[in-house]
Amino acid sequence: MEKIKLNETPVRTSRNFNMNNIKLENIKIPKVIKTFDNISINNETSKIQIEKTSNNNYDLTYGLGNIFTNQVKNNSNQSLKVQVDSKTNKELQIDFKFDSNNSNLVDSIIINANESSKGTIIIKYLSDENKEYYHNGIIKLFAKKNSNINVIVVNLLNSNSNNFVSIDNELCENANVNYTIIDFGGKNSISNYYSNLKGEHSSNSLNSIYLGKENQLFDLNYIAELRGIKTNIDIEVQGALTDKAIKHFKGTIDFKKGAKKAKGNENESCMLLSDNAKSLALPMLLCSEEDVEGNHSSSSGKTGEKELFYIMSRGFDIKEAMKLMVRAKFNKILENIKNEDLKNQIINEIDKKLD
Amino acid sequence: MAKTKIEDINRNIYDIKNEDEYEFKIEKGLTPDIIKEISKQKNEPDWMRDFRLKALEIYNKLELPTWGPDISELNMNDIATYVKPKSKLNSSWDDVPEDIKNTFDKLGIPEAEKESLAGVGAQYDSEVVYHSMKEELIKQGVIYTDMETAVKKYPGIVKEHFMKCVPIYDHKFVALHGAVWSGGSFVYVPEGVKVDIPLQSYFRLNSPEAGQFEHTLIIVNEGASLHFIEGCSAPKYNKVNLHAGCVELYVKDNAHLRYSTIENWSKNMLNLNTKKALVGKNASMEWVSGSFGSKVSMLYPMSILNGEGAKTEFTGISFAGKGQNLDNGFKVVHNAPNTSSVVNSKSISKDGGKCTYRALTRINKQAKKSKGMVSCESLMLDDISISDTIPVNDVRTETAEFSHEAKIGKISDKAIFYLMSRGMSEEDAKAMIVRGFAYPISKELPVEYAVEMNNLINLELEGAIG
Repeated sequence: MEKIKLNETPVRTSRNFNMNNIKLENIKIPKVIKTFDNISINNETSKIQIEKTSNNNYDLTYGLGNIFTNQVKNNSNQSLKVQVDSKTNKELQIDFKFDSNNSNLVDSIIINANESSKGTIIIKYLSDENKEYYHNGIIKLFAKKNSNINVIVVNLLNSNSNNFVSIDNELCENANVNYTIIDFGGKNSISNYYSNLKGEHSSNSLNSIYLGKENQLFDLNYIAELRGIKTNIDIEVQGALTDKAIKHFKGTIDFKKGAKKAKGNENESCMLLSDNAKSLALPMLLCSEEDVEGNHSSSSGKTGEKELFYIMSRGFDIKEAMKLMVRAKFNKILENIKNEDLKNQIINEIDKKLD
Repeated sequence: MAKTKIEDINRNIYDIKNEDEYEFKIEKGLTPDIIKEISKQKNEPDWMRDFRLKALEIYNKLELPTWGPDISELNMNDIATYVKPKSKLNSSWDDVPEDIKNTFDKLGIPEAEKESLAGVGAQYDSEVVYHSMKEELIKQGVIYTDMETAVKKYPGIVKEHFMKCVPIYDHKFVALHGAVWSGGSFVYVPEGVKVDIPLQSYFRLNSPEAGQFEHTLIIVNEGASLHFIEGCSAPKYNKVNLHAGCVELYVKDNAHLRYSTIENWSKNMLNLNTKKALVGKNASMEWVSGSFGSKVSMLYPMSILNGEGAKTEFTGISFAGKGQNLDNGFKVVHNAPNTSSVVNSKSISKDGGKCTYRALTRINKQAKKSKGMVSCESLMLDDISISDTIPVNDVRTETAEFSHEAKIGKISDKAIFYLMSRGMSEEDAKAMIVRGFAYPISKELPVEYAVEMNNLINLELEGAIG
């Protein structure tokens, strides 16, 4: 089967480093997309409205590649539009549940956060255990002036499935967007995240957790372009890999000319729990503006032997001690999730994956 | 606050042009006949001629890089790949033709040789015109000569090592180098011999529309040590010149090699150089690199840590001014247990110059308990310059520890304010901060080179404060 090349980085580096894109084999991209009806929506307020739409007419700056972008724009089986008008932080939760009758999801979700609005949008992708499912989705967020939006995307698909996600944000003046991505599922989980911080004083934090086991492959391509003055991006990525799992992290903070006094921080850390796991990272800083502050850090390696010894000396076996270590590492990001049910579901999933 | 003007590097010394005089200059272009002619001019053994022709075949098959700076203006049909100077190889400066000797005098090479070097090689265009080493090192069995002599005099060692560390199919410009290489140095340090005083080779390209393709092959045997210094410069011409040298370093078990470079090519130079070291058990390889010249530079020295306990350290600085695109960095591959790498890279961009730090750290599965640490800092001196950091970190064993950090920004207003509150002028404060930024690199250089580097970062401050 032909290899598909996708998720290109904004700037290329040597081909020998294998990080400019990801090439996948044996991906069955469904030509005919049947309906996907197993959706549940839970809305705390009528000020956050959700409706079906047929209009997928928006631009993506990057995305995963034409095949995936065009499939969503022209052939989606779920197109939703979320309108946020709430002045207090209320939640909207959308759950997509894959099963044998709903095995392919091609979804487009547009989130319009109106001026000075607040809200939290939780989008979950869940599946039963056995079948191979296909998900290709785009989430497009327009954060208007002074809006304050939290988006939490949770991928809990089984490890036979393929998960493709493109996220594209536009932030206007003083907009504040907090994105959290929990990326646990999929044989291949390929995600592209882009934020255009064009509005002055706009701010975006992206917190992401991945947890890979068996032969899972994660390819995370996170890009932030800072254009407005005093804009701010914080990217925090924490992950753990066991068995033969592989992670490619590509993080780009791009200070464009004119982004005076902008700040960007990026931290990526990977715990390797197996000698067959692989962690690759490409944390990029691109800078065309003098008056900025940019920092990135990246680390990977084994779990701390001293910490492990300490926990085990308190009566935990190695597996439990590992779980505690991983949970502790992820905790900083999980603390941002205020929905306790969701947080517990994620913690249970961590325990299950590390059993 | 007024902008501080930080001057370009003073190039007066480096820009001295001699008449384009030579004994032989090959026609421009790159064909099998040209390659055969170079080989004939050098009176080489057949194996080397055949090797060159094979490299040309590979060059023609390989693509240009699809990443990094634009080098589309390079047209090999405009480049003469071999310029034989009107001088044979000499062991006394008195025998070197006057104008060539004057050039090296102004660059301070004979003076440095007298004061602080154990041996010197000087290349002018495509051939080495001077080579000399202290008698005591010769007695200890150290070999330091030009590559052409080594090919003829030590064919066994050369055949075993030449372009084995950097194979000709590595990339297009390595293949080019294999086809047209000329000049360079060969160093062989026998087992256990410690060369305490540095050896230095200086490469000078005088001829316009020409290329320099020197090959440096250094073998530091078990338990031996060496500090080798490489300097390079050229005067500026209107059309591009090309430098595609190749450095192969073999650091055997328990050996130590420090390789220092001050690169100050002219701003019409495309510097597409390749450097690689194979590092044995408990051996250590240190790179110290200052990159100031060139229009475009693509230079990523590499250490391959093949022996258990091998170590490498890279300390480098790039300074890009107007019209310069310096795409530099470092690559390391950990292939054995308990290996370690430390990278400390700095860059300064000004006047629309672009600095890119591009790198790879790969810790392979067999490199149990290895450690890697990377730190890079970029300083932007104005808002028309560009600074990018593009590192790849690839870790394939759970027992490794790896960390990377990078910073980008301008001179801190707070630091200027602090120094000014202590009575310094704004200009002096900024100058001190820039020198302090470069200090971790300059302190690693031999004293006379540190002085040269400080001269290179010639700070001239002007403008009203307020």
